[in-house]
Amino acid sequence: MAVTPLLSRLVDGLRCLPGVGPKSAQRMAYHLLERDRESARRLAAILALAADKIGHCKSCRTLSETDICPLCASGSRDRTQLCVVEMPADVEAIEQSGSYRGLYFVLMGHLSPLDGVGPEDIGLDQLKERCRAEEVREVILATNPTVEGEATAHYISEQVKDHGIRVTRIAHGVPLGGELEYVDGDTLSHAFSGRREW
Amino acid sequence: MIAPCAAWDTAMKTERVELHPAYILHHHPYRNSSRLLEVFSRDYGRFGMIARGVSSKRSRLQGRLQPFRPLLLSWHSRGELATMRTAEPDGAPPVLSGAALMSGFYLNELLLRLTGRHVPYPRLFRNYHRTLNRLGERRAGQDALRLFECHLLQELGYGMTLDHEVEHGRPIQPEAHYCYHIERGPVELATGEPANGVQLAGSSLLALASGQFPDQQSRKDALRLMRTVLAFYLGSKPLRSRELFRSLKGVNRGTTL
Repeated sequence: MAVTPLLSRLVDGLRCLPGVGPKSAQRMAYHLLERDRESARRLAAILALAADKIGHCKSCRTLSETDICPLCASGSRDRTQLCVVEMPADVEAIEQSGSYRGLYFVLMGHLSPLDGVGPEDIGLDQLKERCRAEEVREVILATNPTVEGEATAHYISEQVKDHGIRVTRIAHGVPLGGELEYVDGDTLSHAFSGRREW
Repeated sequence: MIAPCAAWDTAMKTERVELHPAYILHHHPYRNSSRLLEVFSRDYGRFGMIARGVSSKRSRLQGRLQPFRPLLLSWHSRGELATMRTAEPDGAPPVLSGAALMSGFYLNELLLRLTGRHVPYPRLFRNYHRTLNRLGERRAGQDALRLFECHLLQELGYGMTLDHEVEHGRPIQPEAHYCYHIERGPVELATGEPANGVQLAGSSLLALASGQFPDQQSRKDALRLMRTVLAFYLGSKPLRSRELFRSLKGVNRGTTL
C-alpha cells in the first residue's frame, strides 16, 4: 500500500515520542486509524489542550495548569520542609512512597558546568527567594546521586545555609530486598560511610 | 591504485580494545537508554564512545559510568565513534565533594578544550589520575591544580620556562623580580621598566617549578600566571566551570580555579 502524505506525516509526528522509531510509529498510526479512531480523536484533543494549558507552577516549578499546583496550594502539607528534586517525575516517585508530607521545589534539570547550565537555568534565585520569604526550616536535597546531582546539591547547600536553614541530603544505600553481593562497590561504600546506630 | 585502498582499509579496520584504563570526561543522554561518552584513555587519548542501553533500569553500569571514576573499558571502534562493550571499576574512586568536585569539572573542561581527539597522552593520563586523588584527599587542592595546569601545557607542547630567565639563560633568583612573557618565558625586571607580561617574584616561579608552595604569595602569583597563560591558549571562550565556581560564594575557601 502506498503511504499517503497525511499518513506519513502522522508517522513522522509519532516519532517525536521517546523510544519510538519508524516501525513502532507506523504500527501506532495504523492501530489508531484502523481500530480506534475514537481514541485517536480524544488523544489529539487532549494533546492540543495540554500543550496549550500546562505551564509551570509559580511556586515549585513543576508542570501544572494552574498558577499554583494543587500540592503547593494544599493546606495539609508541612510548610517547614522543602524537598529539592531534579524533575517532575521525581516528585511523583516521592509522593507514591507516601513518606514525605512537605513541599517541593523542582529544578527541571541540574547544574552542568561543562554544558554551561548555570544556577539561573535551574531557578536557584527563585529557590533562595522562597527560603527567605517562607517559613522553610529544612531543605532536603533529593537530586540524583550522579556527579552533576552532587554538584547541584553542594551548590544549593552553600546558598541556603546562609539563611540559617537546616540542609539535609537523602541517604544513598543498599536497595531493599537486594543482595549485597550484587550491589556495586560505590553504593556499598556509601552505605558503609552512612551507617547508623542500631 | 593499491595505496588509497590500503589506507582506506586501515582507517575502517575494526579495532578491539580490552579492559583499558580510562576516565569519562563528559557524558550526554542519547536516544532512549544510551549515553554518549567523551572518554580520556591512557593509550588512545580522548575520543567519543557510545554506551548502548546503560541508562535503562536494568543496567548495572548506570552508576559506574560517571566522571572521575577510574574505569577499565572494553570497546570496539570503526571510524570516529567507538562502541563500549564492558566497563569495570579500576580501584576505588576518589571521594570528590564540594570544592573538590568543582575542581574536578575544571580539570575535565581543560582536557576537553585543550587536548586533541585521538592523541595519546599517557603521562598526562597518569597525572590526571594523581590529581583527582589529591583533590579527593582534600590536601592542597589548589597546588594540585596548578601543577596539573603546568603539566598539561608541557604535554601539549607549550611547556613553560620556570627555572631560568630567557634573555641570558641565568638561573632564577628567589629574591629577584621577573616579568613572564607568554610563549617566551621570564625576563628579569629592572626597576622602573614598564612590563607587558605577568610580574612576579623569582621565588614564586621556583615554587611552581618544584611544586612546593611555601606561602600564600607564591600561590597567588602562580594562580595569576597560570590563568594568564591558559587564557592565551584557551582563546576568548571562557571556562564554564570557573564561572560557576566564581558564582558560588562561600566555598571559595582555600581553592581557586
